[in-house]
Amino acid sequence: MDVDRRTLIGRALRPATYTVTEVDVNDFLGVVDEPGFAATRNESSSSEMTASAKGGARLAPPSFAPFVAVLGLLKTFDWQDDFLFDYRTGTAMFGEQSIEFHRPLRVGESVAISAAISDVYEKQGKRRFDVIEVSFQISGSEEGDRLMSGQQSYILFK
Amino acid sequence: MKEAVSQPFFQDLAVGMRLPTVELGPMDRFDYIPIALILRDTNPLHLDRVYAQERGLPDVVQQGPLNQAYLYRYFTSWLHDPWDLIATKMRFAANVFPDDVLQCGGEILELVEAPAGSGVVNCAVWQRNQAGETILTGEASARIPSRPMSTSVTHTSPAP
Repeated sequence: MDVDRRTLIGRALRPATYTVTEVDVNDFLGVVDEPGFAATRNESSSSEMTASAKGGARLAPPSFAPFVAVLGLLKTFDWQDDFLFDYRTGTAMFGEQSIEFHRPLRVGESVAISAAISDVYEKQGKRRFDVIEVSFQISGSEEGDRLMSGQQSYILFK
Repeated sequence: MKEAVSQPFFQDLAVGMRLPTVELGPMDRFDYIPIALILRDTNPLHLDRVYAQERGLPDVVQQGPLNQAYLYRYFTSWLHDPWDLIATKMRFAANVFPDDVLQCGGEILELVEAPAGSGVVNCAVWQRNQAGETILTGEASARIPSRPMSTSVTHTSPAP
């Protein structure tokens, strides 16, 4: 019998944080070569990096933003408890992602992610599936100013 | 319809103009390892070919955020400043596999002028594979500066 996930609408997911580390951004730039956002070599002085980032010295490229949204959101929910979904046996995939950018993302900064399930509906393609829409906001965890906001949908096959 | 040059000024743009098309690839399966580490996502679907083939797929699946990152890079490198980006909306339509060659493109859907002559552009953006199958489709909007006013004075000599 199918689970009724519409009861999940309105559920606030757990708050999470993520630090935009030099290591993550450098590894990313090693794959997605971005003109104007060269990887740095010195990853050991993380506190210095953080300080300079506060002064706006180094920005992450916008192409890193979907990574922050995806991995930040994955920290806000449990597939079973929050989506009533067994990830070991079921199939899930990303649906649609929309992001509004409020300011650039700085390397070294910590961000806070808050999210809630804004909608759930069933669709029929080759197979039936539920779409879970999650609204999120990502803020600078120290200054509390908005960095990004948007929506991410997850497709859960039945 | 005309193609919109890179780093355009608002006055140079028109609805219906295409963005320059860019080809990327071939995609490299070894790139999926650092991406899995960044995403903290060690799903074997992205890393283990046998596991992927047991599930009816031809090979491991490239991570969706990596596909997005290539489309973001494509669009933001067209701008004067990548962080002129205002918003994106992207829908995943199909998977990318190792050795795929991706093509990114776009078209101007809307232009909204701001008081100083600069403005906002809203574009359709897409990513396709070598077979023409759509991988990602969506929209992206960004701020576009106005053409700077020329400060030089041009003197014209009378014809001899």
